[in-house]
Amino acid sequence: MRLAVVVPPVAVIAGSIAAWWLAVRFFEIPPYLLPAPGAVLDAVWVDRERLAWGMLGTAIGASAGFAIAAAIGVAIGSVLGLSRFLERGFYPLTLLLQMVPLVALAPILVVWLGYGQRAVIASSAIVALFPVIANTLGGMRSVDRDLEELFTLYRARAASRWWRLRLPASLPSIVTGLRIAAGLAVIGAIVGEFVSAYAGDRAPLGMVIVSAMKEYRTDLMFGAIGLAAIVGFALFGIVNLCGWLLLRRWHASAQGGSA
Amino acid sequence: MLRSPVRFASSILLASAGAAALAGCGDSGSTTASGRTKVSVQLNWVPEPEFGGFWQAELDGHFERSGLEVELLSGGPGVPAAQLVASGKVPFGVVSGGEMLLINEQGADLIAIFATYQGDPTAIMVHAASPWKTLEELWRSDATIACESNLPFVTYLNRMYGGEKLKLVAHSTALANFVNDPMLAKQCFVFAEPVALELQGVPTRVFPVMESGFNPYTAVVVTTRKYLDANPGICRAMVSALRQGWVAYLEDPTAANVAMSKLNPAMSLEAMNLGATKQRFLVEDEVTKANAVGWMTVERWQTLAEQMTELGKLKAVPPAIGGAYWQPPVDASANGPDA
Repeated sequence: MRLAVVVPPVAVIAGSIAAWWLAVRFFEIPPYLLPAPGAVLDAVWVDRERLAWGMLGTAIGASAGFAIAAAIGVAIGSVLGLSRFLERGFYPLTLLLQMVPLVALAPILVVWLGYGQRAVIASSAIVALFPVIANTLGGMRSVDRDLEELFTLYRARAASRWWRLRLPASLPSIVTGLRIAAGLAVIGAIVGEFVSAYAGDRAPLGMVIVSAMKEYRTDLMFGAIGLAAIVGFALFGIVNLCGWLLLRRWHASAQGGSA
Repeated sequence: MLRSPVRFASSILLASAGAAALAGCGDSGSTTASGRTKVSVQLNWVPEPEFGGFWQAELDGHFERSGLEVELLSGGPGVPAAQLVASGKVPFGVVSGGEMLLINEQGADLIAIFATYQGDPTAIMVHAASPWKTLEELWRSDATIACESNLPFVTYLNRMYGGEKLKLVAHSTALANFVNDPMLAKQCFVFAEPVALELQGVPTRVFPVMESGFNPYTAVVVTTRKYLDANPGICRAMVSALRQGWVAYLEDPTAANVAMSKLNPAMSLEAMNLGATKQRFLVEDEVTKANAVGWMTVERWQTLAEQMTELGKLKAVPPAIGGAYWQPPVDASANGPDA
C-alpha cells in the first residue's frame, strides 16, 4: 500500500487522540465528563470479553438489518423505478422512514416483535432502508435512454430489462446507497438494543452503553461507542469491497486502485 | 494534505475545551430584583409525586420566604442530573443515593442535602394473574424482567436469590409491552406505574425491592461540596423550604398535583393523587418523624456504601462516609440564605 494512502488517516487519528489526551490533561477534565484515551483503552482491555460478545451481538443485529434493508430497498427502488405513478404514490411513504424518530418508534417495535434480536434487526432495517431505496430509484431513473430504447426495440421482457440493463446500470448508485446504509444500520441496531436487548455477560453494545452510562463508567461507554463505530466501519468496508468487486471491470468509480 | 489532520485535531481540542468549560463553570446563584437568590434544581424525572414537596414549596411560598427563587428543571429519561450538578452547570439536582456514591468515586464531589425517600420506591411489578407471589419466587424463576440490569439492586437480588434462570431485558418507560405480555415482569416505582395501570384496569402485584434488604436513599437532593462551602445559607434555605413543602404536600397533595399534572399530561391528576397516597410511607418513617422530612443518618449511608462495595459497584467504601451528606439541624433550618 502506498504511503499517501495510509499516512493521512493515521495522522488524523493519531493527531485527534493526542489532542484529546492533551485537552484532558491541560484542562483537568474529570473522568465522568471525558475520560482520557488511555483510560478508555484500559476499560476496553479489562472488559474485553464482555465487549467482544457485545460487538458480535451488535454486528449480527446490524448485518441482518442491513441485509434486509438492502434486499427490500433494491426491490422497492426497482419497482418505483418502473413508473412515475408508483413513484409519486409511494415515494413520500418511503421518505417517512427517513423522518420517523427511531428512538420513539423503537419501544413500539418491542411491543410488536418482542424482546431480543427481532426488534433490533427491525430497528436497524428501518433506519437503513431509505438511502437504499432513494439511490436505487436514482440509479433506475438515470439509465441511458438509448439503451432503454434498444431493449424496447428487441422487445425485451421486463425481468430481462431489469436484470440485464437497469440493475447493472444502477449498481454504482446502489452501492453508494448501501455505503450510507451500512453506517445507519449500526446506529439503528444500537437504538434497538437500548430498548429490546437481553442483559447479561453477552449483551450487545447498546446494552453495554446504557449500563456504563448509568454507572458513570464513561471510559467503558466511550470504549463501547468506539467499538460500535468499528462494527460500522467493518460493514462499510465489506460493502465497499463488494462494490469494488462488482464495478472494477467497467465503472470509473471503482477504477484507480482504491476500493 | 497535512492541514486536514491539524484542523481535525484542533476541532477535537475545541470540543474538549467545551467539556472543560462545562467542568469549570459555576453558578453560585444570582440575586433577583426582589432580592431573592435565583437557583435551579435539575430533577431526574418529569413532574410527578416524587417531586410533590418541591412544587408545594413553590406554591406555598416556602422558597420565597427562604429568600430563594427556585427554577425546577424537569428531567426525563437519560437526563444527566448528577453530571450537571458535578460540573457546576446547576447548583442542585436530584439523583439516587447510589448514583451519588458512584459518580463521587469517579472524581465528583457531590454531597446529599435532602433525602426525599427513606424507603426506596423501586419495585418489580407482575400481572396480578401471574404465578409469582413473592419477589424471591419471581427471582428464582425463569421469568423475563424488563429492568435496568446494571443497577445495584439487580446484583443484590442475584446474590440473594440466584437469578440464574431469569431473562433480564432492556427497560423502557413504555407500559404497552407489559400490558400486552401477561408473563412479563417490569421494574417500576411503587407509586407510579402500578397506579397508572390500576386506573387503566390492569391489576398488578408489586414487590418492593427494599423489603429484600437493599434500601438506598432515593430522590436525593445533591449539590457540590464546593457550592455548599461557598453558599451554606442557600443550602440551608433550600433544605428548610423542602422540609416545609413536603410536610404540606403530605397533608394535602392536591394543589401541587394539579400544578404537576399540567406539566406532565401523561400522568393524570387522579394517578398523581393516588400515587401521592401510596408513597407516603416511603417519605415518612420513624427517623423523619423524630427529626425532619428528608433526614439522613450516617448508618444508612454506611450501609449503602458497604452494600455497593460488596456488590462490586464501588471499589471501596469512601473513607469518610459521614461526609456524604450534610443537613442543617431542624431548629436552625429556617434561616434565610447568606448570599
